Amino acid sequence: MESGFLKKNLLKMYSLALYRFFLVILGFPLFAFAFVKYTLQYKGKFSRNKDEAARRLRDAGEYSRLETEIRGQLERKNSFFNKAVSGDKFDAELKKIVKERFDELTDLEVSGSAAYSESRTSFISFFCGLFDNKVFLACSVICVLMYVFVLVFANPYVKHIFERLVMMFFVIFGVTILVFTILHFSPMDPAKNILGMYAVPEQVEEFNRVYGLDRPYHEQLLDTFKNILTFNLGKSFVGSEDVLGAIMRRFPVTLTVTFWSLLIAVAIAIPAGIFSSIKQYSVFDYVFMLFALLGLSIPNFWLGYMLVLNFSINSHWLNAVYDVNNWTTLIMPCIVLGTGLSASVARMTRSSMLEVIKSDYIVTARAKGLSQPKIILRHVLGNAMIPIVTVVGLQFGGMLGGAAVTEKVFNISGIGSYIVDKQFIPDIPIVLAGTVYVAVIVSVVNLFVDILYAFLDPRIKSKIKSY
Amino acid sequence: MKNDSKKLYEQRENKRRLNAFPAYNSLNLAAGASLGICLFLLFCAFDFKTGALNTALTGVSMVYLAPAVLAFLVALRIKREILLRGKVENSTRRMGFALILFALSFNVFCGVAGFTLINSGEGGRVDKARSVEYTLSFYAALVSISTIVISSFNVFKPYFSGWFFYGIGLLLLISAFYLTAAFLSNKWARDKTVDKRMLPVAVISLLTAVTGNLFALFLGIVIITKIRYSGKSIEWIDITKRLFRNNMSMIGMFVVTFLLSLSVCSVLTFDYSVATDNNYQAMLLGPSLMFPFGTDEFGRCVFTRIVFGARISLIVGVASTALPIVLGGLLGAVAGHYGSKADNVIMRALDVLYAVPGILLAIVIISAFGTNTMNLILALSIGAIPMYARTMRASVLSVSNNEFIEAARACGAKNYQIILKHIVPNSFAPIIVRATLGIGSAALSTSSLSFLGLGVEPHIPEWGNILKTGSKYLEQHPNLAIFPGVAIVLIVLAFNYFGDGLRDALDPKLK
Repeated sequence: MESGFLKKNLLKMYSLALYRFFLVILGFPLFAFAFVKYTLQYKGKFSRNKDEAARRLRDAGEYSRLETEIRGQLERKNSFFNKAVSGDKFDAELKKIVKERFDELTDLEVSGSAAYSESRTSFISFFCGLFDNKVFLACSVICVLMYVFVLVFANPYVKHIFERLVMMFFVIFGVTILVFTILHFSPMDPAKNILGMYAVPEQVEEFNRVYGLDRPYHEQLLDTFKNILTFNLGKSFVGSEDVLGAIMRRFPVTLTVTFWSLLIAVAIAIPAGIFSSIKQYSVFDYVFMLFALLGLSIPNFWLGYMLVLNFSINSHWLNAVYDVNNWTTLIMPCIVLGTGLSASVARMTRSSMLEVIKSDYIVTARAKGLSQPKIILRHVLGNAMIPIVTVVGLQFGGMLGGAAVTEKVFNISGIGSYIVDKQFIPDIPIVLAGTVYVAVIVSVVNLFVDILYAFLDPRIKSKIKSY
Repeated sequence: MKNDSKKLYEQRENKRRLNAFPAYNSLNLAAGASLGICLFLLFCAFDFKTGALNTALTGVSMVYLAPAVLAFLVALRIKREILLRGKVENSTRRMGFALILFALSFNVFCGVAGFTLINSGEGGRVDKARSVEYTLSFYAALVSISTIVISSFNVFKPYFSGWFFYGIGLLLLISAFYLTAAFLSNKWARDKTVDKRMLPVAVISLLTAVTGNLFALFLGIVIITKIRYSGKSIEWIDITKRLFRNNMSMIGMFVVTFLLSLSVCSVLTFDYSVATDNNYQAMLLGPSLMFPFGTDEFGRCVFTRIVFGARISLIVGVASTALPIVLGGLLGAVAGHYGSKADNVIMRALDVLYAVPGILLAIVIISAFGTNTMNLILALSIGAIPMYARTMRASVLSVSNNEFIEAARACGAKNYQIILKHIVPNSFAPIIVRATLGIGSAALSTSSLSFLGLGVEPHIPEWGNILKTGSKYLEQHPNLAIFPGVAIVLIVLAFNYFGDGLRDALDPKLK
């Protein structure tokens, strides 16, 4: 590793509080060594200089001059606002301001002196200087992780993704705490619900002991978090199912349905939105926007039943119950789940396209003689894409939640309907794990959308790059 | 080429002249909407298996075909009159009365078109004279008349509420009052001034607002404000005016007000026991005059149940929007105003809520604390907090940079005073728009959760609950599932249209 590159990044990282924290932790032996050496070499010099300067200034009568000046200012200010111009409170305020100003003055005095620049050699530049020493550099290999950390920081995209991942980790942690706390303090008693009303207290106690429900809150919480991270979720309360296996069987089903409905919805909504923004106030625009608003207003499950009524019961075209091996059974759930998304995407496409079409650079593009399709696809759509992508990302989470209802209508054994089935007990491991993993997926999608921004918008790209 | 541009110019000129008369647009809307409803009903009446038409539904669809044709013809006529003579003839204006009569068949579009047509300016000339008061009073009248029409279906029941006739009589009186108010405001109310003689009208209409008629409430407030600040232009009245230009958003507000008024008046005109008591003589009947939407498996009248369901949907919708507005709004305002650390802590904490899909969070909360309406409201509110907090934060950030905030600070205002007095009121517009849309989606979530068995208690007539029972009989009695669904779509659609209109009206760019 080139030492200039290393020093530059180290200096930058050290100026950011969080990065400094992790840097010190990862390179602890190096920092400890450097700190000891630094203290021995420089400590004391600076504060000695400062004390000296303060004494000098005080002797010159600077302090009392400052005090009279500020007292006058404060009196004028307080009398203007009809406040007291004497008393304890006034004195305290006066003293505070005078001390601040005097400190500033001393600092100024010190920085003027020659000894200052030497004593102010900051710890981090001292630390960087150590890397010129070959022995130190060789020893520093023990902190490989610190180097990896610096490498992560050096690449803007990797750094951005890394930061988002760390944030995601905290969000997942928060979600776990939230859901766990809600379930923990619930007045519902799973033991009573499973063992029946006539269970003797010993049985309830035994149940709570087996599932660890009698342990204190924080122990259970820590345990839960560890289990979630290590994918070791234990057994469910009812039927002693393996929770992880059960969830992993159901996730792909939900994701298949969600993925296809997302694809269909976007494939319909974006062209339609583009078309109705080009032909604003045309009949197509009105009719399509009416349908879009209708799509936003229709309850998922009702639309599902209406489709079943028309296409399964009345005309026997499609099967009402989902079957993994028959792709035609996927059509209706996808339409139901995708309606809300396509409606909001189409509306967003239209409005953000209209906003861009009215801007000056589109007029310029037209004046340059670009063809209409080129203007629309390259200039308008390209610039209108950010809000559209945002809506798709946001709606994806809603879709995963809405899937619970749709899955119930079409009898799909997905994660949503599984959670709904198990919440009546409540079967805590399943509800908790299901919700947290859905939140993980939502966060991953949001991360993906965030990265996509950088490729769509050069402004965001340059913002990521400059740090 | 020259001809072409001349033609284009003429087209635009004609369009501009026609747009000066709102009656033309609302007539077109009335014709289109009535035709749409008629075709939709015909589509429903047609049985695809046997190829036969359901006579009752066909009859109803004809009731919508007639006004469609009438509105179309009148629209053609006033188009000719406007383009040739620049005014609407009195004889044409009188046709508005015929259109108003169709409002009795619950055809709001025709009612609005009729009232707008009658009042096409003084002597039918350029249409600047129409005052907000006139529009508000005729919408109030339409609400009250529609409530009477819907309530009067109870006449066909074997027994009805003891207060029924008092209720209907009262509503009739109130409708008559609104019509008088419309006539009077046409005479005495102008763009920025109102005759002092309108004051009793304002007071009475404020009193009648007890029936849940929001239009009457607005009418009263508008008149009193105008009398007090005579001749000045008041911002929120200007916003109301812009809102009235958008027909669809007004019809959205009409539907909302109508449902509110119906739920309030149902105390007098509907019998709650019909909606909840079992009646084993009348199980699973089809639609008839006695039971317009049929009966469910316990013989309860679905129509009455849906009417009472509106109450729950509105209460839950409003409560679960108001709560997160207060909480999220405050959090957002604090985050936006203080910035840096407070901002980071609050927004990261809300990110946690944002990561869990709303419905899933609601499911978890309700499953933990039990199924009842209070928990439902709480669960829906918590999920909505981050959205309002983000909206509030964004608008606070944009407001905070203004000079008047700096001025307030220079005058020695405390932070909380600045937030509550200066920042929040000035950044409330986006929140109001979001809230309108939020009530609709809360109603949607309520019915979804009820459908899963997690919303309102199952014995309460709520739209999702009704639909849940209906879904069991989808094959034999689809009407049980269709009607409550239509009710949900209607209320959510109304809120969405109203919210869209409100956003346009509040948008400073579109002034």
